[in-house]
Amino acid sequence: FIGTSLPSHWNLQSGLRSGSGKTTTSPAENYYLARRRTLQVVVSSLLTECGFESAEKAAVESLTEMIQSYISEVGRSAKSYCEHTARSTPTLSDVVVTLIEMGFNVDTLPTYAKRSQRMVITAPPVTNSPVVPKALAAGQKRVHPPYIPSHLPDFPDPHTYIKTPTFREPVSDYQVLREKAASQRRDVERALTRFMAKTGETQSLFKDDITAFPLIAARPSSIPYLNALLPSELELQTLEETDSSEQDDQTDNENAPTGADKENSVLPPGGVVPAVKPSEETVIDNPYLRPVKKPKVRRKK
Amino acid sequence: MGDANMCVCVFICLCVTSMQNNNIFNLCTTHQVVCINNINFQRKSVIGYVELTIFPTVVNLNRIKLSSKQCRIYRVRVNDLEAPFIYNDPTLEVCHHESKQRNLNYFSSAYTAAVGAVDPDAGNGELCIKVPSELWKQGDEMKVLKVYIEFSLDQPKGGLHFVVPDIEGNMAERGAHVFSFGYQNSTRFWFPCVDSYSELCTWKLEFTVDASMVAVSCGDLVETVYTHDMRKKTFHYVLPIPTAAPNISLAVGPFEILVDPYMHEVTHFCLPQLLPLLKHTMSYLHEIFEFYEEILTCRYPYSCFKTVFVDEAYVQVSSYASMSIFSTNLLHSAMIIDQTPVTRRCLAQALSQQFFGCFISRMSWSDEWVLKGISGYIYGLYLKKTFGVNEYRHWIKEELDKIVEYELKTGGVLLHPAFCGGKEKDNPTPHLHFSIKHPHTLSWEYYKMFQCKAHLVMRLIENRISMEFMLQVFNKLLSLASTASSQKYQSHMWSQMLLSTSGFLKSISNVSGKDIGPLIKQWVDQSGVVKFFGSFAFNRKRNVLELEIRQDYTSSGTQKYVGPIKVTVQELDGSFNHTLQIEENSLKHDIPCHSKSRRNKKKKIPLMNGEEVDMDLSAMDADSPLLWIRIDPDMSILRKVEFEQADFMWQYQLRYERDVVAQEEAISALEKFPTPASRLALTDILEQEQCFYKVRMQACFCLAKIANSMMSTWTGPPAMKSLFTRMFCCKSCPNIVKTNNFINFQSYFLQKTMPVAMALLRDMQNLCPKEVLNFILDLIKYNDNRKNKFSDNYYRAELIDALTNSLTPAINISNEVRTVDNLNSDVRLILEEITRFLNMEKLLPSYRNTITVSCLRAIRMLQKNGHIPSDPSLFKSYAQYGHFVDVRVAALEAVVDYTRVDRSSEELQWLLDMVQNDPSHYVRHKILSMLGKNPPFTKASESSLCNEALVDQLWKLMNSGTSHDWRLRCDAVNFYYTLFGLTRPSCLPLPELGLVLNLKEKKAVLNPTIKPEAGGIGGVGALDLCANGGIHTPISGFPSSEEEDIDMDTVHDSQAFIYHHLNMLERPMSGHCVGSSPVLLTSGKEPPLVEQTLLSMPATPLPAFIKEPSASKHGEHHHRHHHHDHKKKKKKHKHKHKHKHKHESKDKDKDKDRERERDRDRDAHAFTSSPASGRSLRSPSLSD
Repeated sequence: FIGTSLPSHWNLQSGLRSGSGKTTTSPAENYYLARRRTLQVVVSSLLTECGFESAEKAAVESLTEMIQSYISEVGRSAKSYCEHTARSTPTLSDVVVTLIEMGFNVDTLPTYAKRSQRMVITAPPVTNSPVVPKALAAGQKRVHPPYIPSHLPDFPDPHTYIKTPTFREPVSDYQVLREKAASQRRDVERALTRFMAKTGETQSLFKDDITAFPLIAARPSSIPYLNALLPSELELQTLEETDSSEQDDQTDNENAPTGADKENSVLPPGGVVPAVKPSEETVIDNPYLRPVKKPKVRRKK
Repeated sequence: MGDANMCVCVFICLCVTSMQNNNIFNLCTTHQVVCINNINFQRKSVIGYVELTIFPTVVNLNRIKLSSKQCRIYRVRVNDLEAPFIYNDPTLEVCHHESKQRNLNYFSSAYTAAVGAVDPDAGNGELCIKVPSELWKQGDEMKVLKVYIEFSLDQPKGGLHFVVPDIEGNMAERGAHVFSFGYQNSTRFWFPCVDSYSELCTWKLEFTVDASMVAVSCGDLVETVYTHDMRKKTFHYVLPIPTAAPNISLAVGPFEILVDPYMHEVTHFCLPQLLPLLKHTMSYLHEIFEFYEEILTCRYPYSCFKTVFVDEAYVQVSSYASMSIFSTNLLHSAMIIDQTPVTRRCLAQALSQQFFGCFISRMSWSDEWVLKGISGYIYGLYLKKTFGVNEYRHWIKEELDKIVEYELKTGGVLLHPAFCGGKEKDNPTPHLHFSIKHPHTLSWEYYKMFQCKAHLVMRLIENRISMEFMLQVFNKLLSLASTASSQKYQSHMWSQMLLSTSGFLKSISNVSGKDIGPLIKQWVDQSGVVKFFGSFAFNRKRNVLELEIRQDYTSSGTQKYVGPIKVTVQELDGSFNHTLQIEENSLKHDIPCHSKSRRNKKKKIPLMNGEEVDMDLSAMDADSPLLWIRIDPDMSILRKVEFEQADFMWQYQLRYERDVVAQEEAISALEKFPTPASRLALTDILEQEQCFYKVRMQACFCLAKIANSMMSTWTGPPAMKSLFTRMFCCKSCPNIVKTNNFINFQSYFLQKTMPVAMALLRDMQNLCPKEVLNFILDLIKYNDNRKNKFSDNYYRAELIDALTNSLTPAINISNEVRTVDNLNSDVRLILEEITRFLNMEKLLPSYRNTITVSCLRAIRMLQKNGHIPSDPSLFKSYAQYGHFVDVRVAALEAVVDYTRVDRSSEELQWLLDMVQNDPSHYVRHKILSMLGKNPPFTKASESSLCNEALVDQLWKLMNSGTSHDWRLRCDAVNFYYTLFGLTRPSCLPLPELGLVLNLKEKKAVLNPTIKPEAGGIGGVGALDLCANGGIHTPISGFPSSEEEDIDMDTVHDSQAFIYHHLNMLERPMSGHCVGSSPVLLTSGKEPPLVEQTLLSMPATPLPAFIKEPSASKHGEHHHRHHHHDHKKKKKKHKHKHKHKHKHESKDKDKDKDRERERDRDRDAHAFTSSPASGRSLRSPSLSD
């Protein structure tokens, strides 16, 4: 039993997951369902053996799940041990080590197997083991170059490692992108402002239909200059981004070059930094930076 | 009014007279201590004291006059002795009596007299302190007097401005601050002083403020000391450089402090949270410092400099000794393009005034132009250096255009009015509705133009004597002043720190050896600009250019120019300058041409700057070698030139002349030539990257105009569209604009401007072409600023402006109400954009809310064009206090416009209420000036809004409602003038005999509805005034009166006394009253005679008159007597008039009579409007 379940334990799990909830079943799924059914029978017989007369379906399911996990784990671990010792097929000793490692007392196993009241379960119906679907062959697989020993795995399909440049019309792409970006932004803005208008106080330009062009009501603020002067967070963000990344080139970038020179003619940059560097702030003697004096003790005049 | 009162009145008049003439000379303040020991933000009050150290310069100084407004004075001590004082401010209420006169002439002269009566320049003041007699002896020995005054200010309406945001937290957390402000010398609003620019003294300033606050003031901060409870700090400032009181200022608030990284003696202050902006904004200040110090070869005169940025600033920039107060709205981050040059200009302006204006002060008001001129001139040099010659020349042209337009409109700006000691009879500026005798009577616009002209004249002087000499003169003035500043008062050197016109001119002639007398006479002593008309003909035979230059010197605001004028002629062979003499009768000038043989060879054509260019000469007239002609290319005359030359010449000038001024002139000229050639020239300029960007921007608008004129023949896409596409749109998809990249500012400005200009295009139906509108909508749609390091707020705002420009009036379907359903589809699109923009502003506000401002304008435009219902409520909500000031002003502008279009008295009332009650002085000023520019009605038009109540309200506003703010009062006067003109508002019922004056106006003559029973209020008022009419104008040479025995000790607090004083105020009115009442009708020829007597008098005192109180009473009696006479006569006169009315047959007689009256009236008027008019009031008693 263990031997048969081992090679396919991965498939088993994945098969179960994908198969659940589906009414129509593929041959592969049938295969797994049959095994599962067998496991259920095993669980049920074990329960009967222990003296249970009936069990809830859910309990049986849980136990089945547990036993399945256990068997899977044994298989997985055994395979690891086997591979660890540079083999490809697990041997009995691998299984034994695994079981020991999992805290199972192996010595009790033969006695348990020979117990008298054990029930014999019919073997699961023979079903065809699932056909591994052929991977789509794309292109010719490369053969090993002479210096690679032949036992090493074959090359994977070429499509998995070969870069295949695809060409699309960049022009239309840019246009579409801009179009998309513009309409997306517009939609977001409109939705947001509509939402704000709907949830808050509004003003209207029309008397007949006050919902036509809703304007978020103007609300005076206590310190109006702060909002008006400080750059918004969005702008600051943009600024950081542009600082780190270059201006995008788009398809044409001829309005950038001479920029630096022209900037000079309109707004001169910082100019020459004088001998005193701004960093030496520690030595600045400015009356406004001096500590405030404590009041003098009042003397008699 | 009892005789006793009269007596007091007259008595005080005498006292005033005696003080007036010798205050300047009989005492000098040498040092002043100002100590403000409590500033309460909650109650908006201030408590403090001042101590003036006064040096009497005459024996027996017994009265001290100081300036003080709105301060409550608790006690005055002179050398520790309690001193009685009286307080009288005639400007609180200009015309005291509830006279129904309501004419502006009357008000203006009364106001001028009131301001004059307390003018500190003339040694007057509101506060008169009697020196205790114990100290009189001291005066003999010329000992100093210490005048100690305790005062408080409660909710000051002027002088100090409290900004206290209404939020949670203590005052520092709320960002509450207070700062001093004012127009010209207004320091008296917040502490008693000698509020004159010519009275210098050293200062000690102490301010005790909350420990979380900083007090910034003039001079050096010596120390900051905690009070004993450690909850407050006292800032001790010392200003050792003699400084005039008007240059003292204060700002207190929870400021963030930034020490300039380049100059540690310079400190910047801003309101909480703005420090990053302050850092960026101030990063180039040191360059300005270096520039000025270098050109003036003189160090910055003060040992430190402070800049403070405050909210709700009165003006953007105000300079005080060693500190400047700026509007906080000048701060900006590195992402803002448009504000940067503006702010730099403001800083440069402030700094130039530190040298000339603060450090060097003016001798008198009439010397103001020198200081404004010099500071403006060196500021111009800074502009030239920083922004380039193109920008500088463009600015000069702008300034010149502005002053020319203003002078032609209003009749002239006089820089240096010569008052000749008040003797001059003629008003130097009869064309103005206000007096230019005092800074506080000037309209704000006039003062701005005054500064503009002062600077331009300074530039003319530079043209004459060269910049080198000019700078030498400044250096000399500064070094003299700085030598003087370190001297003690006793050395009498301080006057070197005062600049007068004559001193300046002397300096110029010493340094340059040149006589600039004629120049000064033409532009400084005389008002008006020159208006040239030029045309030319080319005489082929003689190969001579016959240039004709005519002048218009008869219309208002013009003057005649005689002297040299430069003419530049660009010929095929090159550019040639000619200097012609404009003389009395010569109009024609022959200028020989050089190019005899022409275009035989393909030669490059040399330009003025030495460049040689290829030109396509096919457009030229085959016979003439002239490419273009320019008159006065260097703008060395304050003039307007209208020059006629052919369109191709303008086109050549635009393309090939390298001077931006010439290019701009060519562009404005080409508007009149809508031809394909003009179109090509403009398009070429637009594309030329070497061309100055402002020229290119101007070309956009010209191109739009031309395109509209050429509508029927226009081929190709709408003007500028393909150009814009080529410059700013993606190559691959021309309908999509590139993502924003504003690194090149020239193209940025062009990108902003082109859509705005394009939107002005119109098609055959006079609509904005659909193509253009969609183009602009696409620009908005595809605008993408994510990758830009600059903010696009100005760009987006201009796109909205473009939408606004595209609007045209709606087709009006029988006056139906505008509803959503009948909204035009294009307009719907526009409205959707505007709605979205405006709503987004609430979530992500733009810098200075530029987008909201543009949206509000757009909405008003939609309303005005009838697309959406006209409704001011939206604007009114945006105009509320608590919005950003730019938004408020934009909203108010819309309300003002609504008021005019819809003639809404409700909105007008709302605006006027705001003028009276708004916390922001700037907004109040702005409302009145906008109303003045876009008035609901004018004196020329009839309107239902024009009613008696409005007249009364405005009258009250300017008479007493605005006494705390000179600027606002003058705005109110301006507005009143715009609405009603100089004379009686037409909507008032005619008063009984008030029309004697009104006879001048034809209207009154045509409409002599005399109501005999109308219980002559006006008449009585006038009588009263005359009765009170006393002596108020300074009469130089009068001995100081010692005898007045009025018991001032008892009156210093009494309301009654103030009332007396207010009575005195009517004296000013009397000056006018003489003119308006019939007094002079009988004694018409008397005044000049009297005046002569008076003039000859000063040498001989009038003992009988002055010494005896009874004598003055006597005089008064005569007055009254006299008056009775007149009353009778008046009645008689009235009778006569009535009589004539009945007998229409005596028409001829009547006319004659009227004419006579009118003549007299004119005489009287001319007389009264002279500064000396008040004196005439004495005439009866004296002549008696």
